Amino acid sequence: MIRVTRLLVISLCMVFFCLALTGNAAAVEIYNGSITMGDGYQLNNFVIDVTDAFPSAESASFYVYENGDEVDSFLINEGDSYEFDFEDDAEVEVSLISVSSGTLPVVRLSIVVNNYRVSDLFESTIIDGGHEYATYSGTPELEIIKSVDKSEINVGEVVRVTVTVENTGDDDAVDVVFSDPQQAKFILVDNILGDPGKIDVEDGDSVKKIYVYDLKATEAGTFSLNPVTASFTNEAGLDFDDTSSNSPTVIVNAGEDLVNADLEFTTTLDKYTVSRNDEIQGTVTIKNNGDAPATAVTVDFIIPDGLEFQGGSGIEVISSVPTIYLESFGVQQEKEFTFSLKAAEVGTYTLSMENSYLFDNGVDTQLEEVSSESVTNKIYVVKGEYDYLFEQPIYVYAIPLIIIGAIVGWIYHRHKQYKF
Amino acid sequence: MLNILIVGNGQCGNRILDAINREAFGKKSRLAKFYSQQKYKSNVQTIAINTAVNDLKEMKFTKAKDRIHIPHLHGVGANRNVGKHVFEENRTHIMRQIEERGNFDVCFVLTSASGGTGSSFTPMLVKELKERFDYPVYAVVVLPFREEGTLYLQNAAFCLRDVRESGVDGIILADNQFLKQMGGNVESAYNGINDMIAKRLLFLLDALDSEMMMVTDLGDFKTVMNGGAGLATIGFYEAETDMPVRSAIQKALSPSGLLFSSDVYKEASRAMVIIRGDKEHLSIDEISTEVEKLSSAVGHVFKGIIVRNGELPQVLAVLTLESASELEDLYSIAVDAIKYERDKKERVATVKDVDRAFSQIDGMDPSY
Repeated sequence: MIRVTRLLVISLCMVFFCLALTGNAAAVEIYNGSITMGDGYQLNNFVIDVTDAFPSAESASFYVYENGDEVDSFLINEGDSYEFDFEDDAEVEVSLISVSSGTLPVVRLSIVVNNYRVSDLFESTIIDGGHEYATYSGTPELEIIKSVDKSEINVGEVVRVTVTVENTGDDDAVDVVFSDPQQAKFILVDNILGDPGKIDVEDGDSVKKIYVYDLKATEAGTFSLNPVTASFTNEAGLDFDDTSSNSPTVIVNAGEDLVNADLEFTTTLDKYTVSRNDEIQGTVTIKNNGDAPATAVTVDFIIPDGLEFQGGSGIEVISSVPTIYLESFGVQQEKEFTFSLKAAEVGTYTLSMENSYLFDNGVDTQLEEVSSESVTNKIYVVKGEYDYLFEQPIYVYAIPLIIIGAIVGWIYHRHKQYKF
Repeated sequence: MLNILIVGNGQCGNRILDAINREAFGKKSRLAKFYSQQKYKSNVQTIAINTAVNDLKEMKFTKAKDRIHIPHLHGVGANRNVGKHVFEENRTHIMRQIEERGNFDVCFVLTSASGGTGSSFTPMLVKELKERFDYPVYAVVVLPFREEGTLYLQNAAFCLRDVRESGVDGIILADNQFLKQMGGNVESAYNGINDMIAKRLLFLLDALDSEMMMVTDLGDFKTVMNGGAGLATIGFYEAETDMPVRSAIQKALSPSGLLFSSDVYKEASRAMVIIRGDKEHLSIDEISTEVEKLSSAVGHVFKGIIVRNGELPQVLAVLTLESASELEDLYSIAVDAIKYERDKKERVATVKDVDRAFSQIDGMDPSY
């Protein structure tokens, strides 16, 4: 029982501290100071004007304006307070502390905000001359339209993209920055109206063109163009969430002008089971089955440890990698390259080839690069005929060597004996 | 164990010595020296002496330390007088080499009678050996082909006489003229003759140091060699399959088995017959019959039998000669050769045809 009570107390304490820290429900004094008659105090879009001050009566009258429109007024004596509704459920309590005379009478006020998050206050200041001189914060609303001149094109054809913006809000959009991501599967061929940079879009302005550019389709398919986004503030400097445009859809059909180089790389070996130290003869066949010539055709041999490249026709070793390189390779051309490998170590291996080539598909401004990898069947390297000789204990070699050494020594000794 | 010294003088002596050393390996292969050992029963020391270094280099089975080169151009050019002079100059060196080998029980000196170095060195070497040591020295002298030339014939005649006068204990003759019957080209004939001599000497050395059923030893050999005119020859025959030992003995004593042409039943003075082979082939009766037949003709015959299991009968006969008709024939030819050479020298000295030819331009000078 005692434990439950203690837990409950601790939980309540934690809730209390959380509420206290958020400051949501707390009354916060925003201002405590003097204001000259005729001036006002602005809290966001509310302005409390000190209309009249009566030092002799120790009282003062106030008018409350929201966005320049009068919403409330009150007369209070020193020591009295008055509350009026603020944004949402919040209330503002104005307390008259004192009224003093002078060239112009001056009131001393305390302004407290209840049920309001202080951090939401974007304006809290004295306004000389009162509400007429206050700056009110509006809500700019940007409508960004991304449109295309054609919704269906062929690969290689161009579509014109236009992006416009219109401010339909009640405040200017200030420091507007647009972002239009690069479009995949399309290439930018002409930038008619480029990035405008940081601009202001005033409310009431006519529709404004932001981007105009041409995109060329490089691949068939149905594509939704990326939306344009904009970030901005209102005139009062209040940030707003980014606004996005629509995503127009463009259908790209495969065109008849697109050509491809289609190189087929085939590697064959004369045998896949060999004895150690035997040689393997291989052939790399390259054939262009496509309708465009290829350039920079490269085949890199990835030789595993255990196999050794011995040499081959038209194959150069570059940075220890046997490589076939062909500057160009015509349509329907076929070429064979032979090479030989030595099976150095017993084991199971595969021979990999990294193939790549470039070609012009007739559409793109840049050459298309194609890469692939091919792997041969498994190569089994088994023990050589005489490998058992190297697997014997040392004495198997030492004894014959000693005997041979002794024989050689004896022959040399005899030779010296009989050499005149 | 006997201590035996064999000295090969000159090209012929060197080659016979090398043949002996090769035969001692028991193998015919040129590589036998690399994998085999010489099978001398005795302590055999061999020394090859020559003034021609190329002859020494040609030897394959004689150790380098056993080849003594006496520097004099490349030989003495068949001139015995030059050879004698060279020996005199190198006497100390040669004898020191021999002395360093120790003492011996018997010495054989191998030489050709007709060449330069061998024919001139041998008599002087034998004389030195006899003066310095007390072991018997026997010379194995090879006589030349009769058609080899007058210089060789006169060298042979004088060499043989000098050797005989040097105090040698006996001369074993081998005659190239007689042995050339084996045919073949000159090189194979020479090699064949060298092999024949080598095989006989090795058999003799083996016999002198073997346990025998019937004993012949070095003493018997000395007695045989002391007989006759100091000249001897050796007969040898190796029986073929199923050949009775009697036939082998007869073959060994026949001219085809001898190193020097002789009718041993008429010219021999003493003899030693050594028979070796498996006892299965050695019929004592047959041996006794043949030996008695020989002894009835020449007098005393020493007989030795060596039993070697699995061997076919081999017969060696050492025969000293009382007379040698073939040697007399040789000397008569040699005398003609000596006269021919002398006459030619005198003719050249008196006629001087070449001088007459030169005299035609006396007092004249060349014009250009």
